[in-house]
Amino acid sequence: MKFGLFYEISIPRPWTPEKERTVYNNCLEQVKLADELGFDHVWAVEHHFLEEYSHCSAPELFLTACAMITKNIQVGHGIVVCVPEFNHPIKIAEKTATLDILSGGRLHVGTGRSATWTELGGFRANPDTTKKSWDEFVRCLPKMWMQETFAYQGEFWSMPERTILPKPYQKPHPPMWVAVTSPGTEIDAADRGLGSLGLSFAGFEEQEKKIREYRRRIKQCEPVGAFVNEQVATTNFLFCHEDEKTGVEMGKRLGNTFNYLATQLISTREVYSSPSYQSLGLLPALRRAATGPDASEQQTEGMAYGDPARIIRAVKKWESLGVDCINFILNANEVVPQEQVMASLKLFAKEVMPHFAKKPAAKVAAE
Amino acid sequence: MPLYGTLDITQNTKALPTLANLDTEAWTLPKAEMLQLLIEVPRSTTDGLLPKAMHPALPSYVALAVTRYSDSPVGSFNLAVLRLGSRAGAHPRGFLLGAVASSEAAAKELKGRWGLPVEAGEVKFLRRHDRVSGTVRKTGKTILDCALIDPQPVAGSDVQYINWVTAANAPLDGQTQPLLIQVDPKYTFYKAERGKPQVATFDAAAWNAASLQLADPIVGTCCTVDTDLPRIRFVMDPIKPVFQGTRRIRESRADE
Repeated sequence: MKFGLFYEISIPRPWTPEKERTVYNNCLEQVKLADELGFDHVWAVEHHFLEEYSHCSAPELFLTACAMITKNIQVGHGIVVCVPEFNHPIKIAEKTATLDILSGGRLHVGTGRSATWTELGGFRANPDTTKKSWDEFVRCLPKMWMQETFAYQGEFWSMPERTILPKPYQKPHPPMWVAVTSPGTEIDAADRGLGSLGLSFAGFEEQEKKIREYRRRIKQCEPVGAFVNEQVATTNFLFCHEDEKTGVEMGKRLGNTFNYLATQLISTREVYSSPSYQSLGLLPALRRAATGPDASEQQTEGMAYGDPARIIRAVKKWESLGVDCINFILNANEVVPQEQVMASLKLFAKEVMPHFAKKPAAKVAAE
Repeated sequence: MPLYGTLDITQNTKALPTLANLDTEAWTLPKAEMLQLLIEVPRSTTDGLLPKAMHPALPSYVALAVTRYSDSPVGSFNLAVLRLGSRAGAHPRGFLLGAVASSEAAAKELKGRWGLPVEAGEVKFLRRHDRVSGTVRKTGKTILDCALIDPQPVAGSDVQYINWVTAANAPLDGQTQPLLIQVDPKYTFYKAERGKPQVATFDAAAWNAASLQLADPIVGTCCTVDTDLPRIRFVMDPIKPVFQGTRRIRESRADE
């Protein structure tokens, strides 16, 4: 089992330059500590216009800062929006390669397509075609990283032959993932040989079913890159405290705050009728299912908050379902004071981490 | 925490519809044809339109809807409404700003039973091959002329309708007081189409939203549905955040 941090970078109103800077600095301080404590990953989302919920619109800059102050922790784009109105694929290839070089080969590249009208409408992107453009982008990226020269003519973008520079430090290229929120995306991940970057806290039973299907399908995949990245990651809240009651109370406060902010987002499905967005595809509904007043005991048990013993039980359950990595959200709207976030990380590393042996990444060379 | 609305409906209770009770019976409304256009609006133009208890949708948007109800307890009628996209706590809602019904009887019942801010007027629903259009005239003046252009079939499951909230005076705990009332129709889809919204005329003041300006169109739909106007299940304090001020009036329907 691997452990990571997952950043949306949530900033409460009223916004001041100092407040945004403070929250960013808090995040960097957490990442530095997590690196020293032996956490494996730090992921950062790409979101735009999502007031209070996420002020992380330039994750590559945040992750570069993370890489510069750490030694071992791997840095993950979680995710790069693969929609042409958001990001040109050439720029994605160039920026990720640069970050891989600067981090000394510690980059993971998560991919996705955005789920909110707030963002898609903001960029005047067509929700009907985001899955198609994502598919095109993830097939091009490895070639752009690996080939000396690259030319392309597709439905969503094209380019004449050029040399895309720089090339990633990792060879053949950084591991690739896809964000899995909408039902069925785990199949898309498996079929392309991509890691499944789960952003939901769905119940144990549902997760087990998804993981089983992912493992089955990926055995027959045709990887878009040079290797299969067979890994399943999930997201969770983390608040670890010596006293179980205190830990659970603060963890619930964190979860409820995060969920309340998430429910304020306008999902694409809410306003734009499209077969491309059949489900909310968003964190809110799934996360609310796990932490809201109607959450089953089983779902609540899966949350990584409470005392170390309780968290160990939760993590062991996820491990038994086949989860390779859990990425933790540490704060939302700064409801957890920074010193308590830091103490929680230290206690987790001291009391919980030793119970989970690390496995090497499943990196299988493609034929 | 998220932004809140700024409208204090308790300051002008005389302008609100008044319900005799919260026990209105449900209406079954079969084979209704619903034209709905969603359009973004500048946030600054929605100031003062949303009750203090609710959160604004970000970005701000409105739903312009013109519906042909072919059958109801007061006969067939057309209804046009303007709803402001919002949140009641964690739930997406459309706050009713204004409405026009094509018959006096429908207007009276909708106002008195569910608290719709509705007046009688001329409401037309017109289907052509290249468009579905709705026009509304009140006191001799056109206040809405809109259309769904180039409708294309989609699945009913692609369409999501948001529940409504109305502001009205209603008796609760022995006292008639201003309340927010949740109106949550059900829908069974027979046909659904999607297209581009077009608005030729929109008189914001006639919809009780003088400052409102339409900006970027999102999408338009036209659906044939069996729907209803159900019994009132939830009312909300108009001042308190809804997670503190919501009251359940009766249990949910058996099929929910």
